[in-house]
Amino acid sequence: MLSIFFLGSGESRGWRRWIGVAFWLAVLVALVLYGLIGTRLFYLSTLGTVFMYIVLTQAWNILGGYGGYLNFGMATFFGTGAYASAILFHYFGLSPFLTAPLAGVAAAIAGLLIGIPTLRLRGAYFALVTMIITFAVQILVLNLPWTQGALGIYMQPTGLTPLGVERLFYFLFLGLAALVTALVYAIERSNMGWALVAIREDEDAAEIVGVKTIEVKWIANAIACFIAGVVGGLYAQRIMYLEPFGTFSFDISLNTVLMAVIGGAGAWQGPLIGAPVVLLVADTLRVTFTSEVNRAIFSIVVIVIALFVPGGVMGLIHRWRRKKRVEVNAAPEKN
Amino acid sequence: MLTQIGSILADGIMIGLIYAIAGVGLSLVLGIMGVVNVAHSAFIMLGSFFAFELFRRFGLDPIISFFLAFPVFLGAGVVVYRLLITRVETAAQTQGLVAMFGLMVLLESLGTIAWTTDTRVITVGYTNTSMVVGGVVLANVKLIAGALALLLIGAFWAFLRFTLMGRAIRAMGQNRSAAMSVGVNVRQLSAVMFGLGIACAGSAGVALGMVFPFSPNTQILWLAWAFLVVILGGLGNVANTLAAGLVVGLIQTAAAAFMPFDYVYLVLYVLLAVILVVRREGLSGATRRAI
Amino acid sequence: MKVSAPLLEVSNIVAGYIPGHPILRGVNLRAEPGKITVILGPNGAGKSTLLKVISGFLPPEEGVVKLGGADIAALPPHRLIEHGVALLPQGRSAFPALSVVENIELGGWTLRADRKRLREAVEAMLSRYPHLRPLQDRAAGSLSGGQQRAVEIARLLVPNPSVLLIDEPSVGLSPIVARQVYQELVAFKEEGRTILLVDQDVRAAIKVADFVYVLNSGRNDVQGDRSAFEGDLGAMVRGWLGV
Repeated sequence: MLSIFFLGSGESRGWRRWIGVAFWLAVLVALVLYGLIGTRLFYLSTLGTVFMYIVLTQAWNILGGYGGYLNFGMATFFGTGAYASAILFHYFGLSPFLTAPLAGVAAAIAGLLIGIPTLRLRGAYFALVTMIITFAVQILVLNLPWTQGALGIYMQPTGLTPLGVERLFYFLFLGLAALVTALVYAIERSNMGWALVAIREDEDAAEIVGVKTIEVKWIANAIACFIAGVVGGLYAQRIMYLEPFGTFSFDISLNTVLMAVIGGAGAWQGPLIGAPVVLLVADTLRVTFTSEVNRAIFSIVVIVIALFVPGGVMGLIHRWRRKKRVEVNAAPEKN
Repeated sequence: MLTQIGSILADGIMIGLIYAIAGVGLSLVLGIMGVVNVAHSAFIMLGSFFAFELFRRFGLDPIISFFLAFPVFLGAGVVVYRLLITRVETAAQTQGLVAMFGLMVLLESLGTIAWTTDTRVITVGYTNTSMVVGGVVLANVKLIAGALALLLIGAFWAFLRFTLMGRAIRAMGQNRSAAMSVGVNVRQLSAVMFGLGIACAGSAGVALGMVFPFSPNTQILWLAWAFLVVILGGLGNVANTLAAGLVVGLIQTAAAAFMPFDYVYLVLYVLLAVILVVRREGLSGATRRAI
Repeated sequence: MKVSAPLLEVSNIVAGYIPGHPILRGVNLRAEPGKITVILGPNGAGKSTLLKVISGFLPPEEGVVKLGGADIAALPPHRLIEHGVALLPQGRSAFPALSVVENIELGGWTLRADRKRLREAVEAMLSRYPHLRPLQDRAAGSLSGGQQRAVEIARLLVPNPSVLLIDEPSVGLSPIVARQVYQELVAFKEEGRTILLVDQDVRAAIKVADFVYVLNSGRNDVQGDRSAFEGDLGAMVRGWLGV
């Protein structure tokens, strides 16, 4: 059964698997070095955004890529985290650097609450409802007294130079990205990972076989929402000003899914490929095209990938690797 | 007091009819073909702009555009079916879903490229006139839009109920392989069915555009509305979708009378969540109601 | 109403649902015109798969399906009626939310260009199965198993097919109704139609058979005309079960 998902944990054996990991570790080291010595504000800033999206997309990947539950409302949890930090700052003067974990908790609680009606749904319904909930939350935030509504909330500047700010968030988000990727890597190889894949491939069969689907989904969802909330909290400080439309923008949710699908949903490397590809290509295109044309082009790419390139980039690599292996083994084995 | 209730009722019914026609296409395509057309509301939006352009360039009354939209969008729907939906149907469910979201974003982007994000209205001669019946004020546009919607819903229902092709389409949804064995070219008829769904969306867009302001971005809100109507009414049944549309319209106008505008949307989203919790049995897995 | 049926011939069919794992591994058979040819075999032998290949639902990896000399293996299912081949699928196949008469009428979908002829054909079915007439506006899904079967059979006959593919017709039916179904099959044969019958009910099928093929593990096992099979059926079935 082909899917947009990468079916592959356990495929690479022994030294091949370590090559993959080593590659990404090398990339990580290179990025750390650049963060230390780089001076171009634009690059630091853009990469910072890339890392932030990697975190978000990895969070999405847990329930969406491995579990097959496509959440089209990551903005809800991201925004909840952002607002949680912002509100804690606005009323109590607490810095988001301190309150980010609390923001994560707030988002996780929101995730649990929202999960009550939504995690019972399958496929398209889950996707649609998670999307719609973002709009509902947007309205709530617009109208509740303590969120400052359309006026928005202003954060306090960190007192660093612009370059310093970008470098700070560069490392913050890079660190989170590495952490979360390691988490996803670990989940992939754990029982929970297998349970999620089982749910994705055939939830009813998984239940019959004894997988505690409800628990697994809830835990995955809570983890994903927590991570999104933490990132949201930090984002509040980075962007310095929050208001309901930008913070709960559907674009954030859409980008997350886009990056996962293009890079390879259901693979820990997926977001690592998808986020840079989408953001950097978008940035290059932005010079020649408006953001709307950008979006149109990306949506065509998504359609093509969803229908013709299952598994995104990682899927391609996987199939190419498998073909190579078959070719190597084919010659003596003809019977 | 009575006139207030009367006007809520009248408004609710007229709006409800428009919601119903917005939901019918989605509901039938979902019920008969099992395709979740997330891009349905994007086509509704294009329908609104279809009427807008015809009015802006040629002064064509939206009432005429309503009827013109049907064959135009029917053709567009058939093309989209052959190019895209056939592949979505054979792909894994999640693959297909992502592709449909891609289509939705594509159409919205194209709409924004063509018309920017500015909010538009279609103001015709009768837009701000109304008639008074029994003390209740009825806006003429809403009356006309509602009547057009009702006409289309009725025609659709009659088509599915009384024509051989309509019955073949329903049969296809009830037992696809039996329909094939009986000689029905399911591919072709699916294209027609999908085309009809999009045609409904296009005409619904015209009706909506007559009454409400719109822009390419509002299409996503229309998706929520259409989805609400479909879930409430159950899949694939015109009469039920009509009833559901009326319920949603009435709830909206009743709520709007008592609470600030924004909260009305909230009420409806909460309603949606409640319905989903209560009716989840009918949603997970493949459930096609009697078509 | 005599019909002249062509010869249905199946040669060397290799087919399956997963490439590389065929269920049918080279099956041959002939369904003589105007005769009832029965296919028997244990579960998993590929009987229903073979009908799926012949009726166009499963393209074969190898082999030919010839009807009156013409290769129909590549035809999609909805084209088979044009060649006079009709399938009565396993289980419930009536359109449950459509009425009896609407079901029967859809059987004549390929005749829809001539509405008068279609109406006459539907009327002929209601006359042939008069117990359906008072039920004609009832939803097919609300009828009993036997009544639904009658609707399915009436629907099947509307386009006057010369070759009938029948897949396990008696499953889920009471013995009395099942016997009626087999009697109908004999009546169809007497009208000159060719019948290819796949069945689990060995005894009932052999009673109406002119020729019998037994499939096992996707291949032809034994075959012969009815007399060859009227002996110890128990032994044969036990053989399938490996007992």
